[in-house]
Amino acid sequence: MRVDLAILRAAAVLAPCRQRAEWLGEWRSELWYVRQSRGGSGATAFCLGAFKDALWLRRNAPHEEGSAVSRLESPVKCVLFLALLGAVSLWLAIRAPYTRVEGEPPLGELLIRLNLHALLISVLVLPAITSLRLGEYPENSHSPPLPTRLRRWFFFAIKIALIIQILSCAAVSLKLIQPYVWAVYLLAFRWALIDQRQRCPVCLRLLTNPTRIGGASQTFLEWYGIELMCAKGHGLLYVPEIPTSCYSTQRWLYLDPSWNGLFS
Amino acid sequence: MAVESKLSHTAAMILQAIHAGYGYGFSVMEVTGLPSGTVYPALRRLEQSDLVRSQWERQSAADAELRPSRKNYKLTRSGRATLDASQKRYPLLVKLIPSSEVENA
Repeated sequence: MRVDLAILRAAAVLAPCRQRAEWLGEWRSELWYVRQSRGGSGATAFCLGAFKDALWLRRNAPHEEGSAVSRLESPVKCVLFLALLGAVSLWLAIRAPYTRVEGEPPLGELLIRLNLHALLISVLVLPAITSLRLGEYPENSHSPPLPTRLRRWFFFAIKIALIIQILSCAAVSLKLIQPYVWAVYLLAFRWALIDQRQRCPVCLRLLTNPTRIGGASQTFLEWYGIELMCAKGHGLLYVPEIPTSCYSTQRWLYLDPSWNGLFS
Repeated sequence: MAVESKLSHTAAMILQAIHAGYGYGFSVMEVTGLPSGTVYPALRRLEQSDLVRSQWERQSAADAELRPSRKNYKLTRSGRATLDASQKRYPLLVKLIPSSEVENA
């Protein structure tokens, strides 16, 4: 296989499944014209741009049914998935050879010894790579009762607890990742925060239909950013592109039940 | 809405190139001098904003010229209006890519 075609095929992996065939078709067709005009070396440089294009498509494509994101859309499925990972990592940790060697500390002690420092480092570094704020959820007359609102925090706590369990067991069973386990914690906590920010505070499902609002060049008395909505019609989330005095962080708007007919 | 939207100079150049008759990605690259990693994502962004529309040319037309069929881009009505606004904002745009230069549209 020619190098330029191999580059295109590698880049195609990044494109969303549903659009991949057409995307590859367009790039292959364009490549023919590039070869006619610029020859082999120009074709290779041309094909390198395919990665940027495929990434753009990946970022801007709607979530596909059956994709990893859509599978974790429901809070129950998300927790079940993490619990399954937790069970597998615990099983691997129990079966790890050096946890059964005489003279080695018991599993519980190993877990604490290997993970305490990593946890501390990741918690200290976390504010440097993502905001710790989960957004503003101002109450209005359509806000759900307190137990429903507390469910959001309970869900977040379960995710964090499961992440710690998964990674602490993984660090025991996989010696290779032990020096870097703090970085894995960091990425996992970042994911937990981002995932939490993208969920409806009422039904805890991932928000859908991201829509770009406004423009960077027109900010006088306006904001610009992305609006997301709950597929069940519980509300809308406004995520500003840059923090402003009126939108310092993302803000949720609870909708009244009269909107439900439009969403169901 | 589209008339009021302001494009970057790069996006305006690409719109102008399409308007001038450079209808597919590589021809836009050639006339603007922009790299492929800029042109193709920009074309998708413009299509998503409903400023351009893409369409695969008929296979028979391509076969007749012994070449693969290509995806052609055309301005929509709002794309045309946005380009008019951009030409006022960037007066050199028309001089950079005049319509009469098209040979292989």
